[in-house]
Amino acid sequence: MTAKSKNEKLGQGVGFERIRRITGYLVGTMDKWNDAKRAEERDRVKHGMSKNG
Amino acid sequence: MIQSITKRDGRVVLYDQNKIAAAILRSLEVSGDGDAADAARVANDVQRELESRFTGDAPNIETIQDTVERQLMNHGFNAAAKAYILYRANRTRAREANTVLMKTIDEITNIDARISDMKRDNANIDGNTAMGSMLQIGAAGAKAYNEMYLLRPEHAKAYREGDIHIHDFDFYSLTTTCCQIDILKLFHGGFSTGHGYLREPQSIQSYAALAAIAIQSNQNDQHGGQSIPNFDYGMAEGVAKTYRKAFFRRLKDAVEDYLDIENADEAISDVIAKAEKATGVTAKLENSESFVAAVAKGLCESFALDSDKANKLIRRAAERAYKKTDRDTKQAMEGFVHNLNTMHSRAGAQTPFSSINYGTDVSSEGRMVIRNVLLALDAGLGHGETCIFPIHIFKVKEGVNYNETDPNYDLFRLSMRVSAKRLFPNYTFLDSPYNLQYYVPGRPETEVATMGCRTRVMGNVYDPSRQIAYSRGNLSFTSINLPRLAIDSNGDEKLFYEKLEAMLELVAQQLLDRFEIQANKHIYNYPFLMGQGVWLDSDHLTLKDDLREVLKHGTLSIGFIGLAETLTALYGQHHGTSEELQEKGLEIIGFMRNYCDNKSKEMQMNITLLGTPAEGLSGRFIRMDQKRYGKIPGVTDREYYTNSFHIPVWYNISAYDKIRLEAPYHALCNAGHISYVELDGDTARNVEAFEAIVRCMHDHGIGYGSINHPVDRDPVCGYVGIIGDVCPRCGRREGEQIAPERIEELRRMYPQMPAFQGIE
Repeated sequence: MTAKSKNEKLGQGVGFERIRRITGYLVGTMDKWNDAKRAEERDRVKHGMSKNG
Repeated sequence: MIQSITKRDGRVVLYDQNKIAAAILRSLEVSGDGDAADAARVANDVQRELESRFTGDAPNIETIQDTVERQLMNHGFNAAAKAYILYRANRTRAREANTVLMKTIDEITNIDARISDMKRDNANIDGNTAMGSMLQIGAAGAKAYNEMYLLRPEHAKAYREGDIHIHDFDFYSLTTTCCQIDILKLFHGGFSTGHGYLREPQSIQSYAALAAIAIQSNQNDQHGGQSIPNFDYGMAEGVAKTYRKAFFRRLKDAVEDYLDIENADEAISDVIAKAEKATGVTAKLENSESFVAAVAKGLCESFALDSDKANKLIRRAAERAYKKTDRDTKQAMEGFVHNLNTMHSRAGAQTPFSSINYGTDVSSEGRMVIRNVLLALDAGLGHGETCIFPIHIFKVKEGVNYNETDPNYDLFRLSMRVSAKRLFPNYTFLDSPYNLQYYVPGRPETEVATMGCRTRVMGNVYDPSRQIAYSRGNLSFTSINLPRLAIDSNGDEKLFYEKLEAMLELVAQQLLDRFEIQANKHIYNYPFLMGQGVWLDSDHLTLKDDLREVLKHGTLSIGFIGLAETLTALYGQHHGTSEELQEKGLEIIGFMRNYCDNKSKEMQMNITLLGTPAEGLSGRFIRMDQKRYGKIPGVTDREYYTNSFHIPVWYNISAYDKIRLEAPYHALCNAGHISYVELDGDTARNVEAFEAIVRCMHDHGIGYGSINHPVDRDPVCGYVGIIGDVCPRCGRREGEQIAPERIEELRRMYPQMPAFQGIE
């Protein structure tokens, strides 16, 4: 058990992990991303399934 | 009389005319202008001038150097004056570089990576750890040295000012990028990691364990990622070995149990050996009829069994051996994935960047590997976490796995179910014409494979008889700041192309300069990559050979970023907005590809065009361009330039149109490319919708693609899926604590939940 998790028992201060593709590979949680890539991820819009946009 | 001088740091020291004379002499010698007597005369005049100007104060260094320059000119030593000025400028640059270097090291040492963007330049290095910091300090020192001593001034300027980006610049003088490891060739006969010799593996567990070690060892010889292009074909051999042993053991047990005897080892192994000899095949997951008949015949003879009974025993042994092999394979694949997510490389600061390609081996053994590695990926790590490594790449091929009637179609379907949950596998499409041209059925080395983010190595101008994926890789790559060329052209298309051609020429020259450094290395510089014959033809090298010829199998790649912003700067809109601009986009990238092809022909080397994976770069160029030009709408007004040829991430477009528009660029970017489609979570989990996207990619000639969708995880209750503000399983918000009773209740419902600490 790590010192960190001891202090955060029952989830206090524990965030959610959000895994995203960065350039082709994945990065475990986004807090390691640089500022530009974070901004890019924020701006990403979903693509619809219809053929006409 | 000058008694003392003031140094740059403010210290006052004794004046020494000899030092001035020595510096003057150096310049005179460099320029061939004069000798020691001349130096003494100039130095005397310097002193006279200083005495006339400084009666009481100590002159400072800069003033003295200005005076030296003036007196050299007065004496007519113009070339020497020039040499002296150059020497001064170099010293100043070195001094400044030192200051910047020290400041950088200071930041690495003292600032938390969460605050320091520089320390998060590469998301897979933890800049807060001791080894991660050491790596970053080493990189900073190497970069300062390389810029100062190895780059031509025009390349250094282009790099410094952000016209180009030289990737992995810290490794400039040291090594090459990446390699596709032919795992079978490496295993046959065994290999050495440099820290000990490993015999040829004899079971699927050791195949998988050694594959991880091979990736780790090779990663220490190169600065980029490592890939296994033939993961299914490679591991299949391990499955076959495990099965063969299991079949023997199970058959022995079955015969011993039935006859109530012991020590049937020798007799059974004799029966199997004879059957193998008679039929020319070994025990296989799907045993051939002739093999079974031969074993049955042997059992009848050696143990006086009737044929019916013998066949029954064989069937039972085969079934049990199959189950055992499947179990072993599953464990081996789980172990492999765990290993690659936890093992360390490069002084412990990273997990190796690893990729595995599979999907086309239709043998029963290969299929067992593919199924189990997908299931291991699906299961995730110990607490159900999504695996970051290796990158899984599923090779899609008509006649193999693409159509419903194809032998591996079931595995293609399974891969999509897994990718809809875990973001991997990505897909590479062997039917796209520029990939299909290399494909030869029955020769897996001709199947295009991908490493790392997107690197593709296939064509071979240097040796057209070796257009294969195996044992080759990228040597180095440099990217062009395309939007800046467009901004500087002020809408003048002709000017833009002139600038682009000049920049391509500059980058090609820089790549070739770097190649010169790489070419002069030897196999002992790369004990695994070259010493173990991983790189193509390196097994023919002796210790005294340089690497020039074998490295020519690799690629030198010219990359680019921000086609969308480039088009906007030139024509007012990006290529997602109209067919005309799509044509303009293809013209630009086509022009670059054409340049690369011509250069390849000229040099007889593989110069290729790359849709750069811009991680650190996406912010670096635009920050510099914002300083230069301010915020130009649609060009420099965001925090990042758009990746390679992508339609901007913020632009509303259907998945279908995005794929249709980006696919033609895949054909042009022969050094690598990737397209993503962003789906919302519900669509991604709908396998039919997911498959529709993958098929759309295939049919439009995408080379390499993947589907993005949100994958969140609550480490407290272990829920994996989409989490908005509130976790759908345990109901807590980010950072909130939850009651122990609630955890207990959840654990009863979800036994797989991680054992979160602090719960008694």
